[in-house]
Amino acid sequence: MEVDDALRMMRDPLGAPFYPQVFQVLLVITWVIHIFFVTLAVGASVSTIWGFRRGGEYELRLARSTARLTPSAVGLGIVTGIAPLLFLQTIYDPIWYASNALTGFWSVIFILVVASGYTCAYVFYLKGSPEGRLLWTSVAGLVLLLLAGWIMHVLASVSIRPEQWRQWYAPDGVADTRGIQFHAANAGRVTFLLPLQGALSVAIAGLVYTWYRSKRADADREFLTWVAARARRVGIVASLLYSAAGVWWGLTEGAEMKVGIEVTVTLGALGLALAAFFALHRNPVAIGPRAIAAWFGSLAVVAVVREVIRSSALAEFGYRVADYPFRVDWGSVAMFGVTSVVGVSIIVYLVLVLYQAGLRSADQATISLRVDRFGRVATGMLGAWFGFFLLVGLYAVLVLK
Amino acid sequence: MYPTWEGLGVHSTMFVAVIAAFHVIASHLTVGAAWFNFYVERRAYRENRPELYQYLRKSAMGLLVFSYVWGAMTGVGIWQSTTAGNPRGISTLIHNFVLFWGSEWYMFLIDVVGIIVYYYTLEKVDPKTHLRLAFILALGGTGTLSLIVGILGFKLSPGKWLENGEVLSGFYNPTFWPQYFMRFALMQAITGAWAILMASRLPRDFPERRHIIRWAGIIGLVGLAAALLIGRVWYWHNIPARSKGLLSTKAFPAVTVQILVVGLVFTALGLLLAAWRPSRHTRVSAIGMFFVLFTTVFGAERTREILRKPDVVNGYISSNQLVFNGLPARGIESEEARLDETGILGHLPFVPAADEIDANAPKEFPSHEIAVGRQIAIMECSGCHSVSDQTVIHVGDTQVALRQQSALLRKISANDAASIRALIDNLGTYPFMHDFVGNDDEKDALAAYLEYMVDRQQGPPTTLPPTTIAPTGGSHGG
Repeated sequence: MEVDDALRMMRDPLGAPFYPQVFQVLLVITWVIHIFFVTLAVGASVSTIWGFRRGGEYELRLARSTARLTPSAVGLGIVTGIAPLLFLQTIYDPIWYASNALTGFWSVIFILVVASGYTCAYVFYLKGSPEGRLLWTSVAGLVLLLLAGWIMHVLASVSIRPEQWRQWYAPDGVADTRGIQFHAANAGRVTFLLPLQGALSVAIAGLVYTWYRSKRADADREFLTWVAARARRVGIVASLLYSAAGVWWGLTEGAEMKVGIEVTVTLGALGLALAAFFALHRNPVAIGPRAIAAWFGSLAVVAVVREVIRSSALAEFGYRVADYPFRVDWGSVAMFGVTSVVGVSIIVYLVLVLYQAGLRSADQATISLRVDRFGRVATGMLGAWFGFFLLVGLYAVLVLK
Repeated sequence: MYPTWEGLGVHSTMFVAVIAAFHVIASHLTVGAAWFNFYVERRAYRENRPELYQYLRKSAMGLLVFSYVWGAMTGVGIWQSTTAGNPRGISTLIHNFVLFWGSEWYMFLIDVVGIIVYYYTLEKVDPKTHLRLAFILALGGTGTLSLIVGILGFKLSPGKWLENGEVLSGFYNPTFWPQYFMRFALMQAITGAWAILMASRLPRDFPERRHIIRWAGIIGLVGLAAALLIGRVWYWHNIPARSKGLLSTKAFPAVTVQILVVGLVFTALGLLLAAWRPSRHTRVSAIGMFFVLFTTVFGAERTREILRKPDVVNGYISSNQLVFNGLPARGIESEEARLDETGILGHLPFVPAADEIDANAPKEFPSHEIAVGRQIAIMECSGCHSVSDQTVIHVGDTQVALRQQSALLRKISANDAASIRALIDNLGTYPFMHDFVGNDDEKDALAAYLEYMVDRQQGPPTTLPPTTIAPTGGSHGG
C-alpha cells in the first residue's frame, strides 16, 4: 500500500467537527503557551542547580525562587499541553497515532517520567531548598524533564517521516510490536527547542520577576538589579546560540523536508533579533512586559516554522490539513465558544488576584475594587455556564431525533 | 490500521487501567475536596474560626501537589497509553468530542491555576476574596466532571448517536445523567477519605481536628450511600441489555465483585468511624482507607470497561480497532464487511501481505504460515489478549498475562489447529466476542499460530477433561 493511500485511509472516518484550519491555528496558539511553561521548567531547574552549586548570597536567593517556580511551571506545562495534544490528534491523527504506536513503550512511559520529574522538583522545593539539601532530587528532576522532552521530540520526528514507518515497524514483514526504539531525531531541532528555549524562558522570567518585584515598596533593588543583569546576559548568549541551532535545524531537517532555506533564514534571524533585543535594553529591570511580549512573539514564529516543516513533509504524500474532511457540529462549537469566554474570564481574574496579592506584603494585600467587581461577574458567568450546559443537554435529549 | 503496540511485560491495556485508576482518584478528589474546602472555609469566614485555615493550608498543599497536577498528568497519561495501545479507539472519541474536551481544558486550567492562586494567597488576601477562590475551584472542578462524563458514558451507551450521528446525542447519552450524579456523590466519599487523611496530620489536641474529621465522615457516608443508590436504581437501568448480560459471563471475573464489595464495606466502616468516633482515626487508618478506596475504584472502573466488551464504543468500533457497524448518518461504512471479502493481509496500512512476511527473519518461526498467523493475532486479538511471549511475566513457573490466549485455549482443550479453527469459525456466538474478520486462509494461519503458541507456552496437553465451551457464560475471556 502506498504511503499516500495509507495516510488517507488512516484519517478518522468521523472527520473534524469544524474547519480543520481553525484547529491548526488553535494548535499553534496553544503550543506557544505550552512550550513556554515546559521550557521555563527546564530553565528554572538549571538555574536552581547552578545557584545551589555556586552558593553566593544572591545566587542562593535566586535559586530558592526558581526551585519554587520549577514544579509550578511543570504543572502548568502539563495542563497547557493538553490542548495542543488535542488539536494535533484532530487534524494529524494518522501521523501522531502511528508515531506513538511505533514508539509505544516510550509514549506510555512518558507520563511516568514527567510525574517523577515533577515529584523530584517538589521534593527539592519543599524539603531541600530551604537549607540546600537533597540537590540530587533537583538534578534528577532536570534529567527526567529532559528525557520527557526527548521522548516528545522523537514522537514528533517519527511522525513526519511516514515513508519509513513500514521499514521501522515490520522489516521483512515481521512486526516489531515492542515500541522501544527511538527511530528518528534531529539534534539541531532538539537543541533549539529544549535547552536553548529553556535558557531564554528563564531569562525572560527573570526580567518579568524583577520588573514585578521592583514595584513593591520593600523591594531589594540591589538584588533585583543583579538578577536582571544576569537574565540579560543569559538572554544575549542563549539568543546567539539559538540562532546557530536554528540554522543547524534548518540545514538538516529543514533541508530534508524541502524547506531548508525558509527555516534556516527565519530561525537564524529570530535568534539574532532576540540577541539584539537583550543587548539594546540597558536597563533590564524595566523591560519585563516588553520582554515577555517579544518572547511569545518569537515562540509563535517557532510554532509556525514547525507547522511549515510538518506540512511540507506531508505534502509530499498528498496530505494537507485543508483537505481534512469535516462536518460543522454547532453543538460542539457552541459549547467550546461559551466555555472559552467563561474560562478566559476566570483565568484572567485569578491571575489578577495573584498579581495584586504579590504587590504588597502579606498584611497589606488588598484586591482593587475593579478586580473584585470583575471577579464577581466572572464567577457569575461560571455559575451560569452550568445552566447553559443543562439547557444544551435538555435540547439533546428532548429535541434531537 | 495502525502499528500495534502489544505492551512490554505488561499488556498495553493494563498500563491504561492502572493510569486510569490513579486518574479517577486524583480527578474525583479535586471536585469533592474543592466543595468540602469551600464548606470549611465558609464556616471559617462566617463563624470567625481562624484555626480552620490551618486545615485548609494543609489540604490545599496536598491537593496542589498530588491531586490537581497528578490528575492532569494522569489524564494526559490515559491519552498517551490509549494512543499507543488502541489509537483508533481514542481517535473515535477525539473526533467526536474534541471541542468538549477543549472545553474541559478550560476547566482544567481554572483548576490548576486556581489551586496555585488559592494556596499562595491563603491568608494573604481578604477572606471574602479567598472564599470566592474556593467557590471558583469547586465550580471549575464540577465543570471538568460535567464534560468528561458525557465522553465516558458514550463508550458504554452511545444511544441515539448510532442512528443520527449527532455529537450532542452521543454526549448526552442514556447513562450521562445517572453517571453524572453518581460520580458527584462518589466524589464526596473520596473527599471524606482525603479530608480525614489531611486532618489526621494535624496535632491530636488541635481544636478543630475532631470537627473536620466528623464532617468528613458524615459527608463521605452520605455521598457513598447516594452513589450506591443512584448506581443501583438509575444508572443500572440505563445500561444496555447486552452489557448487563456480560456480567454473568466469565468475562467478568468473580474477584472483581469481591474487591468491590470488600472495598465498599471497608470504606463505609472507615467513614462511619470518622463520623462516630473522630478522635479514633489516625494517620495510618486514614492512609489505609485511601488504599482501600483506590482498589475499589480500580475494580469499579474495570467493571465499567468490561461492560462494553469487546467494543471500544458499544455497537460501533471494536477492540481490534475496526468499525464493525457503519454509521449511515455520517456516511461511514462497516470496515469489517469489506475486509471479510478481501482479507486483512495487505489491505490495511500496517498489515503486510502474506508474501511480504519472511518467516526466517528477524524472528524465527517454524513455518511461514505461523509467521503469517502471528501477524493476524497481533492485528485481531492483541487488543484484549496476551498473544505472545512479549506480554507475559514469569513468576517462578507461573505465567502472569492478561487473558492469555494459549492458556484460555488449553483450558478448553483446544490444543490443535483443527479444534482452534472450529472455535474461530464460531467466535461470534460468544457474547463478549465478534466474528473473526478476514478470509479462510487467514483463519487457517491464525489457527496454526495459536496451536504453536499453546504448545510453546503451555507445554504438552494433560488428560484432564475439557471445560465446557458453551457460547454463553463459557470459560473464554473476551
